[in-house]
Amino acid sequence: MRPRRATGWVLLGAVLLGYPLVFSDAYYAQLGTLVLLGAISASAWNLVGGYAGQVSVGHAVFFGAGAYLPLLLYKIWGWSPIVGFPAGIAVSVAIALLIGLPTFRLSGHYFSMATIAVAELIRILVGNWDFLGASIGLMGPATPRAWWDLVFQSSIPYYYLYLAVLVALLALTFAMERSRFGYYLRAIHAGERAARSLGVPVRRCKLYALMLSAAFSSVAGSLYAAKFGFIDPNSGFGILVSVNMVLMAALGGAGRLLGPLLGAAILVPLQITTNSLFGGGGTGLTYILYGGIIMLIARFEPGGLLELWDRIRGRRAA
Amino acid sequence: MILAQVIVGGLLIGAVYALFSSGLTLIWGMMNVINFAHGEFVMLGMYVAYFAFTLLHADPASFGALAAVFLFVLGVLVYLLLIRHVMRGPMLAQILSTFGLLLFLRYTAYWAFSANFVTLPEGLFGPSLNVGGILLSAPKLVAGVVALLITIGMHLLLTRTALGSRFLAVAEDRQAAMLMGIRPDRMQALAWGLAGASAGIAGALIATFFPISATVGESLALVAFVVVTLGGFGSVPGAMLAGLLVGLIESLSAYYFGPVYQDVLVYGLFVLILWVRPRGLLGKA
Amino acid sequence: MKRLIAIALGAAAGLCFSFEAVAVDAVKIGVIMPLSGNSGNAGKSAVAAMEVAVQIINEPHPEMKDLPLAASVGLPNLGGAKVELVVADHQGNPSEGQNQTLRLITQEKVVAMVGSYHSSVSFTATAVAERYGIPYVVGDSVAANITGRGFKWVFRTTPIASDFANNYMEFLGDLKKAGHPVNTIAVVYENTDYGTSVAGTVREAAKSHGFNLVADIAYNANGADVSPQVIQLKEKNPDAIIFISYTADSILYMKTMKNLDYLPKVVIGDDSGFSDPAFVAGVASIAQGAINRSAWDIGAKGSTTWLINEMYTKKTGHTLDDTSGRDMQALLVLADAINRAGSTKPEAIQKALRETDLKPAQLMMGYNGVRFDQTGQNTLAATYLIQLVGNDYVAVWPVAKAQQKLTYPFKGWK
Repeated sequence: MRPRRATGWVLLGAVLLGYPLVFSDAYYAQLGTLVLLGAISASAWNLVGGYAGQVSVGHAVFFGAGAYLPLLLYKIWGWSPIVGFPAGIAVSVAIALLIGLPTFRLSGHYFSMATIAVAELIRILVGNWDFLGASIGLMGPATPRAWWDLVFQSSIPYYYLYLAVLVALLALTFAMERSRFGYYLRAIHAGERAARSLGVPVRRCKLYALMLSAAFSSVAGSLYAAKFGFIDPNSGFGILVSVNMVLMAALGGAGRLLGPLLGAAILVPLQITTNSLFGGGGTGLTYILYGGIIMLIARFEPGGLLELWDRIRGRRAA
Repeated sequence: MILAQVIVGGLLIGAVYALFSSGLTLIWGMMNVINFAHGEFVMLGMYVAYFAFTLLHADPASFGALAAVFLFVLGVLVYLLLIRHVMRGPMLAQILSTFGLLLFLRYTAYWAFSANFVTLPEGLFGPSLNVGGILLSAPKLVAGVVALLITIGMHLLLTRTALGSRFLAVAEDRQAAMLMGIRPDRMQALAWGLAGASAGIAGALIATFFPISATVGESLALVAFVVVTLGGFGSVPGAMLAGLLVGLIESLSAYYFGPVYQDVLVYGLFVLILWVRPRGLLGKA
Repeated sequence: MKRLIAIALGAAAGLCFSFEAVAVDAVKIGVIMPLSGNSGNAGKSAVAAMEVAVQIINEPHPEMKDLPLAASVGLPNLGGAKVELVVADHQGNPSEGQNQTLRLITQEKVVAMVGSYHSSVSFTATAVAERYGIPYVVGDSVAANITGRGFKWVFRTTPIASDFANNYMEFLGDLKKAGHPVNTIAVVYENTDYGTSVAGTVREAAKSHGFNLVADIAYNANGADVSPQVIQLKEKNPDAIIFISYTADSILYMKTMKNLDYLPKVVIGDDSGFSDPAFVAGVASIAQGAINRSAWDIGAKGSTTWLINEMYTKKTGHTLDDTSGRDMQALLVLADAINRAGSTKPEAIQKALRETDLKPAQLMMGYNGVRFDQTGQNTLAATYLIQLVGNDYVAVWPVAKAQQKLTYPFKGWK
């Protein structure tokens, strides 16, 4: 690796590791934690939405499944939320397979439309199923029985837990980028018909990408449930959950390794800060700003900020 | 008797669904672009009607026309400033653009008009009609009839006029249309204008019987998408048929089964159509 | 590169400190409410009401006799310190509620919290307060286990859903005793957490009071059409209907009932939609005689409650509604506790809250007093039933607190 690039990685690592030590104040630690959570879910989405170009706007279905399972298992059997993580992954991957098969036959807007519809359907079903708490939702342990209840007073343990997961996900993405699978996905993104004619197993690749993406989105959901100790149909399966994932990845740069992290690092603090600054006045200015930013990215720099950065430095992305 | 009332109620609201979906299907069919902000156009139409009544004391009959003009302009502007550019870009940008528009329009309305629900007074169009024991709410009847007329008018416009054939040409093959001397850009701007106008009229009509607020677009848009998908992208008669059908299904299932099943049925149908027959009932393959 | 980092870190640190600004004398109380989205209107009204409470506390208002802290300036036991609200918008989102509560507690250093309208947000926000040992007074959320989790720092002044359900049944029982035919009930509710949980309590109360529930109708609050539901009601013809609805749907129901010419004998609305000023403005003319619940009654001219309403109306342009009133009451109770504690230390405030024993005359709301049990719930919480007469709601039940006699049956548009 060229010396300058290595320095960049070391710096990034140092910032991520050291952030809570410098900003140990509860509010800023929480902020950092939320940025990491956003980065995880956006990076998970990125696998299928950015690299493979399949713009799903229904990823909340996986996030929600991952969020509900730990709290459900706690409610029924009093199990530690940790058990819910693999359970959530299993359910999410199963859902990915089930919806992926028919939905991937659609393309473009139809595909996105279908993902929205499926997520909404699940939201309604969950919201009316008493076993899952119906519209009231599920709560986790209010006071922890031990460390494995994952209820910490400070945000800092969560921060490092999330960081570990993010690093794992990015490492996986990094490896995938350079693998044959990664090339297949990019070929599919560039042009499905062409890719198929070149012998790329299109359908299988899209499914694998979706399943991988679903697994990690589920983990993000489980991490959310562990921290907030509460989930209901809207916070788990609501359309804003899906849209946020897409936005963070798109703002930073979809299809790029660090795009989602960059997007999360900007959008999450922006959302919370504008709410703190303007929200008190109750005028919804936060969302006007949000909407404006989204339109600007879409109109002027759909490749996201990383693309813009490349362009400024006179380089084109590979 | 009760069944007849339920059916008629469903058809009436269905006609209104059809109206605000026909614009959406036009854009979709022509340009393969989904306007996620469509519900917001309808919402703005509702506010135009409200302000026309409270500020200008305009006659209810004029609500639709005023809303149509205002939203036509908005539709064209949105196309020229935003859509035209993102259409040439990646899929992600196209989807994001109208999502951003949704948030922007909805919360600008929220900021400007506040979160209060406002309503137009009862009985603007007179009392309910009693037709053979079935009660028809006057504003819904007006809305339904106007919706029907406009949808038929739009269909005739597309299939029987020169302008219409130019639209369809662009929808079918942009390049070929250009070679024939048609300006796709102009046609597409016009399509957005028409879609806006029909959404506006729909909003103005709905405002006579439905409470108005900035966040009302959310639920309306969902219905529009279901109707458009069911009817077939690009088919205005499809939107009409689907609208009536969705209204009917909603009404019957709400009466017999309750809202859970009503919503599940409608969404389930939506997903099923997308999977099994994406071109809907009357759409082209 | 290094310089950039240094500058960035410096700026961030600067931001850190800028949040620390604290006015020396003011006692800061944190408020979280929905200020955007569908409930934005309700949230803003509640905040306005609480700001009126702050005015009453901070300025001398001797004309509001019996109301604690009205006559004096600020909090007397804290040297006349003024109360200051720090308001945040939770957008109806439980995680945002947590974020904002955290910010108010750790950044703005509020001494106590009040909130939050949405029960789902109250769940998560109170958990934060519990973790940080900051008192949280819930003024309006009615879900049962907000106070049932063994928390020590959560207090609730408002009655809860099961209280309301029992009140409705007692009212209907009184109607029956007065000779009116009341045997069958219908409950019509929107299907999110609000409607479903309250409907559950109504169902139980109906059973335990011996009423026959002939129609149990859930519906989608965002629906454009409620004709099927009204047709169902018309068919079943219950003696009384209880609506658990938000604003748009409440309005839609009244309009649809008129369109379908359906005039039930008793219409009861569970606050929310029926209390929204938009409801009265929009459909009062066709919903005469609708019954609502409220612990708020404007009262006789010149009374304390009447004066409060005047202040509120001057500020916002419309009269005080029950929900906002309940939040205002919560703030007043909290301020009184802080004053009795004579300190801003959380433990002292918590102790003072536990020792609260306010008499009905000292309250603006129609509770029977304020006394918290060991779960933090106000055991003396109560409600009136009010009826729409003209453009105003007047108290009609219990008879002892009634301003006017109840008109039966429901007049609607006649």
